[in-house]
Amino acid sequence: MEFENIYKTYWERIFRLCMGFVNDRDLAQDLAQETFIIVWQKLHTFRNESGIGTWIFRIASNNCLRQIEKEKRFPKAELPSHITEEQHYSVEPQIQFLYQCIAGLPEMDRIIISLELEEVKQTEIAKIVGLSEANVRVKIHRIKEKLTQKFKENGQ
Amino acid sequence: MDNNIDFKDLWKKQAISQPDIEDLLERVKQFKKAGVRSIWKTNILLAATSAFMIFVWYYYQPQFISTKIGIILGILAMVIYVGFYNRLLGIYKDSDATRDNHEYLQQLILIRKKQQFIQSAILSWYFVLLMTGICLYMYEYASRMTVLYALLTYGITLLWIGFNWFYLRPKQIQKQKEKIDSLISKFEEVNEQLKS
Repeated sequence: MEFENIYKTYWERIFRLCMGFVNDRDLAQDLAQETFIIVWQKLHTFRNESGIGTWIFRIASNNCLRQIEKEKRFPKAELPSHITEEQHYSVEPQIQFLYQCIAGLPEMDRIIISLELEEVKQTEIAKIVGLSEANVRVKIHRIKEKLTQKFKENGQ
Repeated sequence: MDNNIDFKDLWKKQAISQPDIEDLLERVKQFKKAGVRSIWKTNILLAATSAFMIFVWYYYQPQFISTKIGIILGILAMVIYVGFYNRLLGIYKDSDATRDNHEYLQQLILIRKKQQFIQSAILSWYFVLLMTGICLYMYEYASRMTVLYALLTYGITLLWIGFNWFYLRPKQIQKQKEKIDSLISKFEEVNEQLKS
């Protein structure tokens, strides 16, 4: 698959995954771009052992995990400098709340639920995160329960 | 469980803007340039210092073998330091971003532990070599001074070395250790999430 095609096909999905992880539009954009830079660098090593989707989602989720390092190095500024930006996009409150809830989960749960909502098959999710399928199923169930709970508490 | 809330539907409604592919390719270019630049910076520093030392050797024509050994040790200290520094910059090349999250996290933990070891070991070696080099280098010039001045010169130098060794070095190592330890424990915590 050509890089340009991959970029067009997967950008939205990767962006949402990153957004679920950090819930910050600018940061998610950066993370998604970094993901595609790695894809661009590594594409020649892709051997079709897994689907290209699984391969790309692995890179993206690993890159999100590496974000933890950057957070430690440059703690987020206290000033809400991106507030105007948020307003510009005027996302529905319910959507905002969903992303906010997901970004508040433990790191691995964020990745797992984002992949699930992205309609990645559970067998594939298992291959991306490195868990058994049964484990993934249990986790997804628990995370959805947690999210439903939060939505109810919030009266959404 | 999402019988009344359609999370998937909400999830997909997130507003998205896709940057032009040209932007991305531009970033790839910058990314490459930045990599080359950082290697240049440290290596130019090394080259300049070494050139200065070689100039001293050539221009002042030191008579004593100790002076020459001192110069060599000084250069060696910097070569080792910069060499490992370059390796540390490239340490992430060892990590394979196409593995699954579980393996990747374990890799990150391992890399960080390796980094911690290299940093503290190399920092100590750097100090030992550089300080020995300086003491040897000074000997020729001190031997031409009166005893009082020679003692004073060595006294001050040793004091400075002691300050570096007993104060700055442990402090630097501690600072690096804290930073890396907090990263390792965070990665371990995330890794644990996979087990629960």
